[in-house]
Amino acid sequence: MPKVKVPRKSTAIDMTAMCDVAFLLLTFFILTTKFRPQEVVQIDIPSSTAQIPIPDKDILMIHISPDGKVFMGLDDQNTRLALLDKLEEAYSIKFSPKQRDAFRLTELWGMDIRQLPQFLDQDINTRATAAQPGMKIDTSGGEHQLQDLILFSRRANNNLRIAIKADKTTEYKAFDKVIETLQEQKVNRFNLITSARTGKE
Amino acid sequence: MAEMNVPESGAKKGKKKARSKKMSTRVDLTAMVDLGFLLITFFMLATTFNKPKTMEVNKPAKQKEDVEEPPIKMSKTVNLLLGNNNLVYWYVSPDEINADTKLELDSVDYSATGVRKIIQRRIKEVHEMWTDTTNLFVMIKPLPGSKYKNIVDILDEMTINNVRTYAILKPNDPVDSLVCLTIGQSRK
Repeated sequence: MPKVKVPRKSTAIDMTAMCDVAFLLLTFFILTTKFRPQEVVQIDIPSSTAQIPIPDKDILMIHISPDGKVFMGLDDQNTRLALLDKLEEAYSIKFSPKQRDAFRLTELWGMDIRQLPQFLDQDINTRATAAQPGMKIDTSGGEHQLQDLILFSRRANNNLRIAIKADKTTEYKAFDKVIETLQEQKVNRFNLITSARTGKE
Repeated sequence: MAEMNVPESGAKKGKKKARSKKMSTRVDLTAMVDLGFLLITFFMLATTFNKPKTMEVNKPAKQKEDVEEPPIKMSKTVNLLLGNNNLVYWYVSPDEINADTKLELDSVDYSATGVRKIIQRRIKEVHEMWTDTTNLFVMIKPLPGSKYKNIVDILDEMTINNVRTYAILKPNDPVDSLVCLTIGQSRK
């Protein structure tokens, strides 16, 4: 019997189609991507059956950490600068152009406003990892900086919506303080950020 | 896979006319595909896919001290006190309090068999006692021992059970202070 000759096939495959697919997906991801903001504190949000997605813009985010520290962040860089202008005026602090630029890029922060220039002088990597003490809240008549910040932010952007993101284990007291502050400002409508409920919980 | 287009030297064939070589138009795309998938992986990991959802909360505007609100019949309500250890203490205040008023107080958890059952039971009871269109009014009173998760859970229960009339209140009622004393939790 003659030997059956197995034809030798080339191992080179046509990569064109694969390449097309890869770049199609790449384009999709580039266009839809929204980078995860830097987190100052780890917050584990509770789940709910709420279905309303969070609005895309004009957001004032208030984070409450498990130990009750309050942080805030504005989504728009121009609003951030407008807020800084108002803070300069009210607290008579002068911010250098470099500090202004640093503030423009700060997603989330929480500290005494007077410590802000010092914080903004640090380089970007130190700032990202530095522990922040949380907003100064004094509901008993003293300097209530969170209240000022909310007021100034809303003046900087009239359409601002307020979203509260708190940890599952945050004490109700801390949350109540923030709500009280908002209600003092006649903000009676706000959003609580939750994750979609998965499976049975 | 890795082929290289080695140019054949034209000098080999000597006298023949120097013809422009027909080059293969095939390019090795392997490296490009590699790069493409590398970038995809990066963007997939960097992206936030499921956008967080939000729960809208509308609080009533703060009223001036002298505005007296019309009292609501207690038999149309249910009080939910959010205590510590993820427990809800619930009771129904009597319409009129006198010396021999008894109060039924019980604690449940936040699960579907806990607080949801209570709310559904009260909805039914209110319908039987009043009319079918009477809404149950839920008074949510978080105690200092409760967590943020608890309040989200209870607001969620309101949506699930379609309760449209509810309020988050401070436990300032005289009955609340009695209840807090009974369960041994501070009110403020």
